[in-house]
Amino acid sequence: MRRIRMWLFIAFGLGLAIPAFGSAEPTFDPAGEFATTAWVPIQLGPIDLSINKAVFYMLLSSLIICVFCLVVVRGGMKMRPTKAQNILEMTYEFAEQQIAGVTLPERVIKKWFPYLATLFLFVAVNNLISFVPLPTAPHSDTFRVVGDLGLYAATANINVTFALALMTFVAFLWEGFGTHGFIGYFKTLVPAGVSKGLMPFIFALELMSQFLRLISLSVRLFANMLAGHLLIIMAAGFSILVGSFIGALGIPFALFFYVFEWVLVAGLQAFIFALLSGIYIGYAAQSEH
Amino acid sequence: MALEGDIVAASKVLTLGLATGLGAIGPGIGVGYIFGKTIESVARQPELRGDLLSITFLGLALTEAITFYALLMGFVAFFIG
Repeated sequence: MRRIRMWLFIAFGLGLAIPAFGSAEPTFDPAGEFATTAWVPIQLGPIDLSINKAVFYMLLSSLIICVFCLVVVRGGMKMRPTKAQNILEMTYEFAEQQIAGVTLPERVIKKWFPYLATLFLFVAVNNLISFVPLPTAPHSDTFRVVGDLGLYAATANINVTFALALMTFVAFLWEGFGTHGFIGYFKTLVPAGVSKGLMPFIFALELMSQFLRLISLSVRLFANMLAGHLLIIMAAGFSILVGSFIGALGIPFALFFYVFEWVLVAGLQAFIFALLSGIYIGYAAQSEH
Repeated sequence: MALEGDIVAASKVLTLGLATGLGAIGPGIGVGYIFGKTIESVARQPELRGDLLSITFLGLALTEAITFYALLMGFVAFFIG
C-alpha cells in the first residue's frame, strides 16, 4: 500500500511538471487566466449562453455534488455509516443546524433550508475544485494533446457571484413582501418613534443598504476568490520570473497562500455566503413583535 | 523638474501598492480586535466556546472582506484602468 502511494505521488508530480516542458508562454499575464472565451458558442438572440470555462466548472461542481449524493444515498444508507455517508451526514447536519437553524425562524426553515443548503454546497464545491489543476488554461496545448493545466474558480467571476447574490436578493425580498405586504415591508425599514424630520434620511439610508446587501454579498465572494488566486499566481510567477536564488524565496509564499486559501478561505467564504443569505431571509421573515 | 517616463504605468503600479497597503490597515486592527475579544470571552466563560467561535468566524469573514474591496480596486486600476 505504501509503495502504491509513493508511485501515485510520483505520477501526480510528473503529471503536473511535464506540461511545463511542453508549452511555453512568452509573457506573464495573470489576468489572462481569468478571461472566459467561449468554447461552445450558443446564442439565443441577445442572450449569450455559450459554454465557457466558468460554465464548465459550474457544471463540473454540480455533477460532483449530484453524483456523490446520489451514489451515497441510492447505494443504501446503513446504520453503521461508511466514510462517504458520514461526510454527507455531517454536511447535511452542518447546513441544517449551523446555517438554517441559527438564522431562520421556525416557520420558514422547511421552506428555505433547501435553498441555503444548495447555495452552501454549490459555492463550497466551486471554491474547492478551483485549487485542483485542470487542463483548461487558455494557453497552448501541451504537446498538442491536452490543454494547459491551470487553476480557475468559477466564483472568481463577478457574473457568477452576482447571479447567486441576486437569487438571495429576490429570496429575501419575496419573503419580506410575503410577510409584511408590499408597503408594509418599506414601513419596517424605518424604526418606530423616529422624528418626522429625520425619517426621509433614515428611509433613504435603509433603502440603499438593502441594495448594498446585494453588492457586498457578491463582491465579498468574488474578491476573496479572485484575490486568492491572483496572490498564488503572482507569488509563483515571482519565483519563476526572478529565478535563481531570490526566486526560491517566492515558493514558500506561494505554498502558504495555496494552503491557506484551500483549507480556510474556500470553505469559510461559502459558509459566510450561505449564512448571510440566511440572515437576510430570516430577518425579512420575522413578523413584528 | 518635470516628470518623465511612462506616468500611466507608474501610477498603475503605485495604485496597486497603495490600495493593498492602506486597505489592510483597518481590517488588520479589526480582526485582531475580534479575536482578542473572543479570547477574553472564552476565558470568562469557557463553556460558550463553540457558540462564540461561530460568531467569531462570521465577524472574521465580514471584516476580511473590507481588505478585498480595496485590493479589488487596486486590481481594477492595475489591469483595467
